[in-house]
Amino acid sequence: MSTGTNEAKCCPIPTRVLTLNDWSQLPDCYSQTPGGTLFSTTPGGTRIIYDRKFLLDCRNSPLARTPPCCLPQIPGVTVPATHNMGKLQDLKEEVEEEEKDIADDNQFEMDI
Amino acid sequence: MNQLECSRDEEDQEETECHQDNSDGINNNNNNNRRKTVCPGVGEHPLQYNYTFWYSRRTPSRPASSQSYEQNIRQIGSVASVEQFWRFYSHLVRPGDLSGHSDFHLFKEGIKPMWEDDSNRSGGKWIIRLRKGLASRFWENIILAMMGEQFMVGEEICGAVVSIRFQEDILSIWNRTSNDQTTTSRIRDTLRRVLNLPANTIMEYKTHNDSLRDNSSFRNTKISL
Repeated sequence: MSTGTNEAKCCPIPTRVLTLNDWSQLPDCYSQTPGGTLFSTTPGGTRIIYDRKFLLDCRNSPLARTPPCCLPQIPGVTVPATHNMGKLQDLKEEVEEEEKDIADDNQFEMDI
Repeated sequence: MNQLECSRDEEDQEETECHQDNSDGINNNNNNNRRKTVCPGVGEHPLQYNYTFWYSRRTPSRPASSQSYEQNIRQIGSVASVEQFWRFYSHLVRPGDLSGHSDFHLFKEGIKPMWEDDSNRSGGKWIIRLRKGLASRFWENIILAMMGEQFMVGEEICGAVVSIRFQEDILSIWNRTSNDQTTTSRIRDTLRRVLNLPANTIMEYKTHNDSLRDNSSFRNTKISL
């Protein structure tokens, strides 16, 4: 409302209008600030925030695909089950897991 | 912060060395006492906090007790970056494929997924019961939201748990202060937003003191809609 100053250029906030016929059409990103959270930024801006989409995209990077070091061998959890555990056995039969650096003291006693 | 403890000359490696600390002489069963500092590798996206994966299992015939709980739970590994998280997560069975009475826990490094831990002493958890078939998807969504700092409750979040049981599966998220209504409400609202729960899903809150008292994680909860 001041006089005598240059007016800044205005441009409307970009919006997108969707018409939904059903709740199932509600987009995943509804109510989220793009790239952030409901709160846009943190005061001071120091918190590290990732949205779901970004985290899922990171899954495809080469850094995310190598097996972790020191993964303990737990049958049915980190390696295929060694004996028949029903559905789990069927699913894991094709999976080849090769653990190279596991020390024996990582073996986990389990009652099946 | 954990990341500040890492020495700078380890930045060249993708993963830092695991440090085994057995100097206190405590019997290191199940690696529960191993002290390990993890750092994000070069080019990786750091997380606000380091997180540790845990796994526990109980044969239903065995009665639950504090001592047996601590022995039945073990660490799987810790992560400090998004990429490290995917490395572990991709090499774990999905919760829906676990057999028996099993749990996965993902907690901030240094906090044990136990009621008695200092960080949990005054705390509680939101519980969401799921019918069979949903656990894997909702577990993934809840931990992504937690690590991505979507809850916006400062330091309050301690960790998340997915519990595979006989006829239902249960998702829990633990926070430090059970009587902080602002925090617990915000967590509940975030859960609704990020999980896209089935209609009519009931969320329950239970303080850890109550769990300790009735020696049960999931009975006698306070219902919240």
